[in-house]
Amino acid sequence: MTDAAAGPRPAVPRGYDADEGVTGPYPPTEEMLAEPIPEEVRQAQEDRLREVWKEPPGWRYLSAVNNSEIGKWYSLTAFGFMLLAGILALVMRAQLAVPDNDLISANRYNQFFTMHGSAMMFLFAVPMFEAISILILPAFLGARDMPFPRLSAYGFWCFVIGGVFVMGSLLFDAAPDAGWFMYPPLSTKQGGIGADIWLLGLSFIEVASIAAAVELIVGVLKCRPPGMRVNLMPLYAWYVLVVGGMILFAFPPLIAGDFLFELERGFDWPFFDPERGGDPLLWQHLFWIFGHPEVYIIFLPSIAIAAMVVPTAAGRPIVGYSWIVLSAVGTGFISFGLWVHHMFTTGLPTISLGFFSAASEAVVIPTGIQLFAFVATLMVGRVTLSLPLLWIAGGLAIFTAGGLTGVMVAIAPFDWQVHDTYFVVAHLHYTLFGGMVLPVIGGVTYFYPFFTKKQMSRRLGLWSFWLTVVGFNITFLPMHLTGLWGMPRRVFTYPGGLGWDWLNLLSTAGSVIVAAGILIFAWDLIRPKGREPLTERNPWGGGTLEWSHDVPEEKWGVRSVPYITSRYPLWDQDKIVERMDAGRYYLPDAEEGHRETLVTSVIDARPLQVLRVTGPAWITMAAAAFTGGAFIFPTFHMYPPAIVSGALAILCVIYWLWTSTAQIPEKSTKDIGLGLSVPTYVSGPRAVGWWGMWITMLGDSTAFASLVFGVFFYWTAGTDFPPADAAHVDWRWSLMAGALGLAAWAAILLARTTNRGGRPLPAAAIAGAGAVAGALAIWAFITALRLPGLNPTSHVYPAMMWALGVWTIAHLGAGIIMLLYCAAALIFGKATPTHDAPMWNVSLYWHFMALTVTVTVLVTAFLPRGL
Amino acid sequence: MAERKQLHREFSEELSSLWRIAIAPSVWAIHFVASYGLAAVWCAKWSDATLLGDVSAWRVLICGASVVALGIIGWIGWKAWRQWDFLEDWDYTHPLATEEDRHEFLGHAAFLLAVLSAVGVIATTLPALLISTCT
Amino acid sequence: MCVRRRREWNTKSGAAPHDGGMKIRTVALAGALLALAACEGGPQSALAPAGTDAAQIARIFWVMLIAAAILWIALNGLFAFVTRIHPRPISRRIAETLIIGGGIVLPLILLGTLLTWGLRAMPDQRAPGDGLTVRVGGEQWWWRVEYLPADGGPPVRSANEVRLPAGLRTDIELSAALVIHSFWIPALGGKMDMIPGRVNRMSLAPTEPGTYRGQCAEFCGLSHALMALNAVVLPADEFDAWLSAEAAEADPPDGPGADLFAREGCGGCHAIRGTEWQAQVGPDLTHVGGRTSLAAGILPMTEEALAGWIRNPDAIKPGAEMPGYDHLSPEELTTLARWLMELT
Repeated sequence: MTDAAAGPRPAVPRGYDADEGVTGPYPPTEEMLAEPIPEEVRQAQEDRLREVWKEPPGWRYLSAVNNSEIGKWYSLTAFGFMLLAGILALVMRAQLAVPDNDLISANRYNQFFTMHGSAMMFLFAVPMFEAISILILPAFLGARDMPFPRLSAYGFWCFVIGGVFVMGSLLFDAAPDAGWFMYPPLSTKQGGIGADIWLLGLSFIEVASIAAAVELIVGVLKCRPPGMRVNLMPLYAWYVLVVGGMILFAFPPLIAGDFLFELERGFDWPFFDPERGGDPLLWQHLFWIFGHPEVYIIFLPSIAIAAMVVPTAAGRPIVGYSWIVLSAVGTGFISFGLWVHHMFTTGLPTISLGFFSAASEAVVIPTGIQLFAFVATLMVGRVTLSLPLLWIAGGLAIFTAGGLTGVMVAIAPFDWQVHDTYFVVAHLHYTLFGGMVLPVIGGVTYFYPFFTKKQMSRRLGLWSFWLTVVGFNITFLPMHLTGLWGMPRRVFTYPGGLGWDWLNLLSTAGSVIVAAGILIFAWDLIRPKGREPLTERNPWGGGTLEWSHDVPEEKWGVRSVPYITSRYPLWDQDKIVERMDAGRYYLPDAEEGHRETLVTSVIDARPLQVLRVTGPAWITMAAAAFTGGAFIFPTFHMYPPAIVSGALAILCVIYWLWTSTAQIPEKSTKDIGLGLSVPTYVSGPRAVGWWGMWITMLGDSTAFASLVFGVFFYWTAGTDFPPADAAHVDWRWSLMAGALGLAAWAAILLARTTNRGGRPLPAAAIAGAGAVAGALAIWAFITALRLPGLNPTSHVYPAMMWALGVWTIAHLGAGIIMLLYCAAALIFGKATPTHDAPMWNVSLYWHFMALTVTVTVLVTAFLPRGL
Repeated sequence: MAERKQLHREFSEELSSLWRIAIAPSVWAIHFVASYGLAAVWCAKWSDATLLGDVSAWRVLICGASVVALGIIGWIGWKAWRQWDFLEDWDYTHPLATEEDRHEFLGHAAFLLAVLSAVGVIATTLPALLISTCT
Repeated sequence: MCVRRRREWNTKSGAAPHDGGMKIRTVALAGALLALAACEGGPQSALAPAGTDAAQIARIFWVMLIAAAILWIALNGLFAFVTRIHPRPISRRIAETLIIGGGIVLPLILLGTLLTWGLRAMPDQRAPGDGLTVRVGGEQWWWRVEYLPADGGPPVRSANEVRLPAGLRTDIELSAALVIHSFWIPALGGKMDMIPGRVNRMSLAPTEPGTYRGQCAEFCGLSHALMALNAVVLPADEFDAWLSAEAAEADPPDGPGADLFAREGCGGCHAIRGTEWQAQVGPDLTHVGGRTSLAAGILPMTEEALAGWIRNPDAIKPGAEMPGYDHLSPEELTTLARWLMELT
């Protein structure tokens, strides 16, 4: 195949008009691509690119923000946390090896199982997906970097600080010990700071996860190479899109839950205290609305890795591309309808259980389609059983067993027996080991030459594989029976004589074998390979763009950004690697000395903009450290330092935006090669920043919706919500607050149009006025809550009203900062009538604020009066 | 403005496809939440209410909602099937860098999602058919 | 397939009859699956049902297990075939038929059938009882138990053991004091959570008399592992006799034991009906000596165990609310324990 025109219908639109900034021929013709590049030009281009993309030397290396460095640190850190959590598991297995053992105390055991689960979920499984995606997604997409490199770096440092804080608590015997699910009232009523550490440390990491999700979604939507239409995207990119979207809708309910939880722990607002109208079940709902999609957030990326490895192993394109896309999207949706299957024994009406039982069975169908599509691909191809494929095959064998037990536990009556027993422990480890750990190891083995130009050892790999798989089954297969024979989970000991003795001993023996397997893998991963020959560029014969890379020698990613006409360009497009290397495609140069990547349109990936991405910086690390302070100080009830730290974090972020993101390029368009010239600055929906804001606010609104759900939940769950004689929020002040909030929204819209009309200073004044209106709205909201004397510690009803108020007030505060930022940007020339991206992004924020403010007014001041 | 038009053209061409992709699973999601919410609220507040003789009101309402949901999904599925245009060229792989393949791919994906969503709605209706009490 | 044996689980006897090992009753041709089927586990096993609910669930399980085993072998056999045995191209049409047949049609049929069966089983499991109601309350880490007789008689308070009539369905009302617990007797049926601020209802219909062990299944804090109880299923007439005995007031002998009980302030927390001690903080001791286990199912009901418990409960059950009485001499502890054992 040579060019895009090879379809039955001629591609109608050709080229762009001059006046919108994109000029020149597009798509490139074969003749244009065939034209050679003079050697000296090529040399000069390479030197400039190398200079721009080189990593900072010496200790400054830590200030790197490039996706390849951040991705590498991120995945190694996550792997390190996995090993730590694995050690906890081994100690627990040792404790359970024999009945009535007293190797570790009950208290320590409870800390260990809590941290094992929490770390595996929050510090390994989810971050690992983000880390691997940050590391390899740009390569799949022929992009030089992620759209917001400093955001990745910020997310990574948040993760490190939060992870070390939470895991470190184990050393002080102060770790959380109420289970990774932190069910109140146990977790809210018990003393100590364990629950606070869990809550704040992990909220902090959840924020980092959402940051990564925003980055990855925008990366897939806007940073694809020219020509990579939606039907040509590598399947991994589809999965990233789906999983990113799921993170965006799954984590916010938990963040909302955390918010309520900390208000109860810190200020005694009784959300989960039944004596004051609260209900412990609300936490379970919010936790599992997060928790079940989370399982798929962990599983789908590994399937995505399999979807990259399987076609390579079969030596032919995937069979059923559309089917797999459907499965990914379908699983993403349905996974949000399963959460109550973690709550089958909470006494909900059978009919409610029925819905979730049914949805839990329905989700099997898309998952099954994915597996069968892999089998079908292998069937029609000529299979080489490479080490990566072996890991993936082993993973899928284990995963299907876990899936089948999943079908069993989705049947509610059966779950009533095995819920919270070792049967479920076995089930979940089968799904997570088979659906995550093994495929990820397969993926690491597969992509290792891509990162390092070295191969992992096949001999060690086989040892590791068989030890892990055999050990795993010795550990977890007997646990099904242990559970059916009645052994509950989360017990630090058990009596002899119930038939569990030999089963547990067997499991403990198996766990040692798994540990040996994982250790061999870890050794193979980090052992020095300096003397081994470099691998060839595309050792497995893959067809996707990442194998065009020549790392680690060259840090620029792709030498030039190719024009794509196939799902497997390296298989189908003649001479593509040669031409990429020659700099024949787009962006072969860095004349201005800036790091640049190409931004394209969402559906057809037409070139839209050259995006200047940010380079190495310390400010991201400082911002992460102060954000950490804002979350960690409250653990010790040190609120003033937390507020100072939070303010400093905001200042850091503003400084970073002001000094790097808000740069106006010296020229409005740039020749990106092949005669195509595109803008260097865009604003509104064409800009990545706008998409980043849009996606962030979707997540934010989900959290807000979860709080509103809380109001309805209390109304259905109890009879005293609101209590008969309750004081209500003052509706006049509330209305006024709403009106002022909407005025601030109108102000930013007006400021944007005024600025577009060529009058930046009046626009700045309008934005400033908007900020004042926002501040007045805050004051009016506080008055509306205080005037009627709503006491949030007295009952859950006033507490819920205050929680909604606090949420909205905090968001208004952020909105005010943004308005002031816009005003300052207009005054100091960081934003101009033609360069107004901040105005668009802040307008978008305020669209969401208008919604939030309106809903808050309705739900606090009016709805309860009607209930 | 032409580039803006270009972008708009790309979107307007596929806007309806994107809607089709999103609508069917969203209908499932709304139907699911509505069924769950309806049963939960009804069982908590008015467990004795009946419709159509002595059938619990919430069962009737859920089945009605299912009919509506399946109708919408069926309609979307039909539109998507037309967009996929399978019977014209028997193409179900859509591997080419053309507007036609992109368009048919989106139709195909929307069609499959409609099928899956229909299965989901039927599965959600099963409990309402098989379980007759709130306890 | 499953061997029905009468199980006796009695901590009183010290060690339980050990029947945990695989009891293979099948001949050679039965294979591993049947071997597994023959092992019904110990007195806390869901695979040794002694009630209609547990039996129904076990039946669902065995059918699902067999189907799952067949599916697993088929899918992975196929995988092995295409990767190892026949790694050469097979027609695309077969492959695509496989996606549709294996990925959609087959699961739809199987899951639809399973779901219909599973959903229909739910109302059976929560059927209303035949009159008797047992209220169980979760504490850290023991159980309050109260019997509301079918004939509307006054409630009978007990603790840390439930007794149920065989052949009848008993309603069970579950609540909890501070944190969430879960009530679970695997041999009789599924579990149900006990949630503060809520009353959850379930019912159990034991069929076979015997003693079965149950345990708290929802993590409830430090000594969650040490919160168990015995369920004693009695023939209906024996149950009625037992319940009227249990309803009677205690008749504690006077003497040094009673004096110790009074002197040490035990009555500040524990009730013995028929005496001046009526506190409800700790477990009711009216007929404590008649129970099959001590300290919520973790110790045998013996003098030594009881004396050891009173001396230092925290050593046996970390975090237990009951203070230790290690200032008492061994003789005093034995006296007190012996006196308590006489409350039958």
